Amino acid sequence: MLKLPNDIIVKETDIPSLGALRQKGKAAFLSLPSLKDEAFKYTPVQNVLTDEMFQPSSCCNHFKECACEKNKLDFEAHCFFFCDGTLHEHFHLTEGMEALPLSEALKNHEAAGHINKFDATKHPFAALNLACLEQGLFLRIEKTPSKPIMFFYQAKQQGLKNIYNVILLEKGVSAEIVEIFEGQNEAYFTNVVNEIFVAKDASLKHYKLQNEGLSAAHIAFNRAEVKSNGCYESYVFQKGGKLSRHELEICLLQESASAFLNAAYKIKGDTLVDTTTNIAHLKPFTTSEQTIKGVIDENARGVFQGKICVAKNAVHTKGYQLHKALLLSDGASVDVKPELEIFADDVKCSHGATCGDLSKDELFYLRSRGICENKAREMLTNAFLKTVFEDISNPNIKNLFENF
Amino acid sequence: MTNKTILDIKNLYANAGDKEIIKGLNLTINEGEVHAIMGPNGGGKSTLANVLSGKPGYTPTSGSVTFKGKDLFSLDVEERANEGLFLLMQYPIEIEGVAFITFLKHALNAKRTYEGQKEIDMPSFMRLVRDEANRLFINSDMLKRAINAGFSGGEKKKMETLQMAILQPTLAILDEADSGLDIDALKIVSGGINNLRDGKRAFLIITHHQDLLEQIEPDFVHVFAGGRIVKSGDKNLALQLEAEGYADFIKGEKC
Repeated sequence: MLKLPNDIIVKETDIPSLGALRQKGKAAFLSLPSLKDEAFKYTPVQNVLTDEMFQPSSCCNHFKECACEKNKLDFEAHCFFFCDGTLHEHFHLTEGMEALPLSEALKNHEAAGHINKFDATKHPFAALNLACLEQGLFLRIEKTPSKPIMFFYQAKQQGLKNIYNVILLEKGVSAEIVEIFEGQNEAYFTNVVNEIFVAKDASLKHYKLQNEGLSAAHIAFNRAEVKSNGCYESYVFQKGGKLSRHELEICLLQESASAFLNAAYKIKGDTLVDTTTNIAHLKPFTTSEQTIKGVIDENARGVFQGKICVAKNAVHTKGYQLHKALLLSDGASVDVKPELEIFADDVKCSHGATCGDLSKDELFYLRSRGICENKAREMLTNAFLKTVFEDISNPNIKNLFENF
Repeated sequence: MTNKTILDIKNLYANAGDKEIIKGLNLTINEGEVHAIMGPNGGGKSTLANVLSGKPGYTPTSGSVTFKGKDLFSLDVEERANEGLFLLMQYPIEIEGVAFITFLKHALNAKRTYEGQKEIDMPSFMRLVRDEANRLFINSDMLKRAINAGFSGGEKKKMETLQMAILQPTLAILDEADSGLDIDALKIVSGGINNLRDGKRAFLIITHHQDLLEQIEPDFVHVFAGGRIVKSGDKNLALQLEAEGYADFIKGEKC
């Protein structure tokens, strides 16, 4: 298993900036995190990651099948397909959008300037991703697209799916990006980085539906820099994978930038879902709101680590965070770690966490009308999660979440 | 022609939590009959409703209850409902996130499935609900909301009555159906209940004053005190109670 830097073999390349990034990634990768690392203290990745998961995925030969996913949509969209970690270039470029495979984009210097704007030594999986950099999409959105942009990730074979996407939203642009992760019951590891830049007055709605195979590991590091009046809004629903982690790092770089996270997870068996956030309020009048709801059954575990940092001069900042968990069985558990680091005086920040079972009175009410207990539990569980997606403005996308 | 017995309670003892509340209750309700149980607050009237519907925390300790010939306590909460027992609740709860219409459709289909019928299709269901809602002066916006979300006391009771009208129970237990109702709402709710009187369906009305019984005329009135029925009579007993109060009966219990 890839555990230490020496285990990583950096591939040769003709593209200098790609080679440089790979070397940088390798240098930043110190080791696979253990429970002694604060950022992974509740998430035992080493128990789940196996040798097979780090094998290179063999070349995908089922692109046509993957592309069929598109037919399931009942609305128009720009679609990109990652089949077993390989981006297929069968997309046509549309007006106002530049889309290139990342390695292609790295042939000019501009793309390289948008990669790895964070300290990779603190993000071992992102460092690993850089060291194995090959697949990914460079997407620059210059005009507001008329339809959502869909990323389909399909895993059918074991091995590593290492994907690095860079998404740039130019000034004033509004866009919707939907990521859908699906996979077979194989030992594979989806390691994704999304590095996002939201320019002044731009707004990105970032949606993610994660239904990886039940033996899979899924680690996604999402990082967004948001400039003045810009807005990063995300909706996440996770229910697959043996172990999955959705990490969100937001830098509210300029005044009046804002970020919203609405996340839900629904897990059972002995799976683990980790949601880790780190929101940096660097300038005045910045806003962030996070609502995370989890439904945990059987022996599953939920993890939430939420950090809000408010820099010294970032006055009039608002930062809210709430995690609510429903524990449906005695074996279910949740670890919640809120962290608020506030260096400014005039701010409004709060955090909250609750956990409990379904309401006995609500269950009785439904059953007293003839609805059987299992159905009643399902209805109440869905009701609990549903509020997370209530504010999705695009009805087609809302539909995807409600029927996920 | 003798009417079929729907509910037969024999020497029932039951607890709310650890406390014995029902102490030797006997009551027989036949097809088409309307029974009123009256008594002072805190006397255990609602406990009776909760024991019959199977609410957790309410446990029968001895005696028997037969519902449509079956041992009631061998049935789950949902089976009792599907057999035709309906509890109109004193304080209907609000359930965020569960759309009322979806909930009611599930409830009706659960009953139909239980009875071996096909599930109802959406257009027929909506027609049925709209017709009944109109009779109860429930506007269509209320139907679109989550169960009882943000409703006033009167609105909640109307929604309970609507559920009863759709589910067409064999026995309806009305637990303080008049509490929290203004005069207009009381008329609408009792009108809805009267509409369901068809000579077959039976009613058990639990109340502590006469108002509701002026709207829904009972066949039998029982005075409930100290955990059992201490006196039974016809509707005139309710008038007597209204005039004289419960004091004599409660005293009688203490002797």
